[in-house]
Amino acid sequence: MAMLQSMFEIVRDNWLLLLVGQYPNGPLGGISATIILSVLGIALAFPLSVLMALAALSPWRALRWPVTAIVYVTRGVPLLLIILWVYFVLPVLIGQSVPAFTTMLVTLVGYEAAFLSEIVRAGIQALPKGQTDAARALGHSHLGAMRYVILPQALFNMIPSILSQFVSTVKETTLGYIINVPELTFAAGQINNRLLTKPFEVYFILAISYYVVCWSLTLVISVVERRIAARRTSSLTAAASALPATPASASGT
Amino acid sequence: MSNAIPAGEAAPMIQFVAVHKFFGSLAALTDINAEVKKGEVVVVCGPSGSGKSTLIRTVNRLEQIQSGSVLFQGRDVHAKLRSSALNHLRSRIGFVFQSFNLFPHLSALDNVMLSPMKVNGVKRSDAREAALRLLDRVGLSAKAQNYPAQLSGGQQQRVAIARALAMEPPAMLFDEPTSALDPEMVGEVLSVMRTLARDGMTMMCVTHEMNFARDVADRVWFMDAGKVLETAAPGDFFRSPQHPRAKRFLSDLHTR
Repeated sequence: MAMLQSMFEIVRDNWLLLLVGQYPNGPLGGISATIILSVLGIALAFPLSVLMALAALSPWRALRWPVTAIVYVTRGVPLLLIILWVYFVLPVLIGQSVPAFTTMLVTLVGYEAAFLSEIVRAGIQALPKGQTDAARALGHSHLGAMRYVILPQALFNMIPSILSQFVSTVKETTLGYIINVPELTFAAGQINNRLLTKPFEVYFILAISYYVVCWSLTLVISVVERRIAARRTSSLTAAASALPATPASASGT
Repeated sequence: MSNAIPAGEAAPMIQFVAVHKFFGSLAALTDINAEVKKGEVVVVCGPSGSGKSTLIRTVNRLEQIQSGSVLFQGRDVHAKLRSSALNHLRSRIGFVFQSFNLFPHLSALDNVMLSPMKVNGVKRSDAREAALRLLDRVGLSAKAQNYPAQLSGGQQQRVAIARALAMEPPAMLFDEPTSALDPEMVGEVLSVMRTLARDGMTMMCVTHEMNFARDVADRVWFMDAGKVLETAAPGDFFRSPQHPRAKRFLSDLHTR
């Protein structure tokens, strides 16, 4: 009970910091930065991952090899190391300093796109070959077959895995902490450093906040999934249950 | 050469010229020389594994060949072609699969409309009108809004035929169109095919439906072990097959 009360007090005293960080006196931070980083990360990584999957499966070796190499390297190296590497090397390479937020976003997009592209690739390869055959036999180009026939099925089938990866993306924004991206974890760290005696309460607030964000994301995606399913297959169950009721329409053939 | 043949009745629609195909060291097709004339219905029959499906899939290059050529309306399908030229050629060859291969994320109507719109650039309203007409032709106008999973096998195959016809192909290829169907659904698909044949469609059908071959085909090709062993009018073929392997095949059918 006392703990709940002190958590409440921490939020009451620090809500602005948790919400927007030092903004407007400093960069936007707190949960706003976390959400912006997550949304941008997902919004950029997802289309990139589809392109990478198409490249990995393309008939052209010049596209296949670089993407395959990137995916292999990314999968074998921890995200934290890639963040540090980009943080220290990127400014040297391009000759100017890069804001921590940008460093984190670029790294996150590249990293997540690599993982997502493997999910998309698996989704494409799991479809029966007859789907591609049928599309090609009708005269669709390789990319046309992908766009109109293969991807709409593959992406829908992979929604659960894609969602997991989206949620990972949200959670991995916490690693921005290491390069001082002023996101939610960073704000919580600041509060904890100030209070010193309440780490359990502070980090519990942090955990709840992430849980709510991830849970909301899950909710949004499952609504999307249900909508698509309703448009495609779930009318199946509706029709199946309607069949006995309307035998006339069922035996119309 | 073959381009010079006038579009008369005898103009070949599909020609196989010395076609060879291997799967590794296995000869899948050996020295195939045969042709399907315009307006002709050819039934390809033979035991399982004789290369019938492989042969029909070479016509739109779903299967590659190692040597020889396959001409469709005088154009070599297996020549070095720009991919756009190959796509265009394929769009002119109607193909019906054993396993239907309807697009499960699209309704029956959208299955039929998709390719005319996206491949041929037909306007949506025109594509829709044509698709509804075709679905009506295969007896499924009531099912236009249904998804493939909501249709029986026979209905799916009829939608697949409508989908192929939507590209207005000069010829239709059928790769065992009734083999995946429950017996009671075979008839509805065959009757659509009979109607097509009666309307003058050039057809090449791989099928085990010997009654269909007897009634509808102009020529029967008998294949075994990757070779076309006999081509004959169906009456002659069923009455007095020439090749010993064909005799055995037909007597096996009768004693079954």
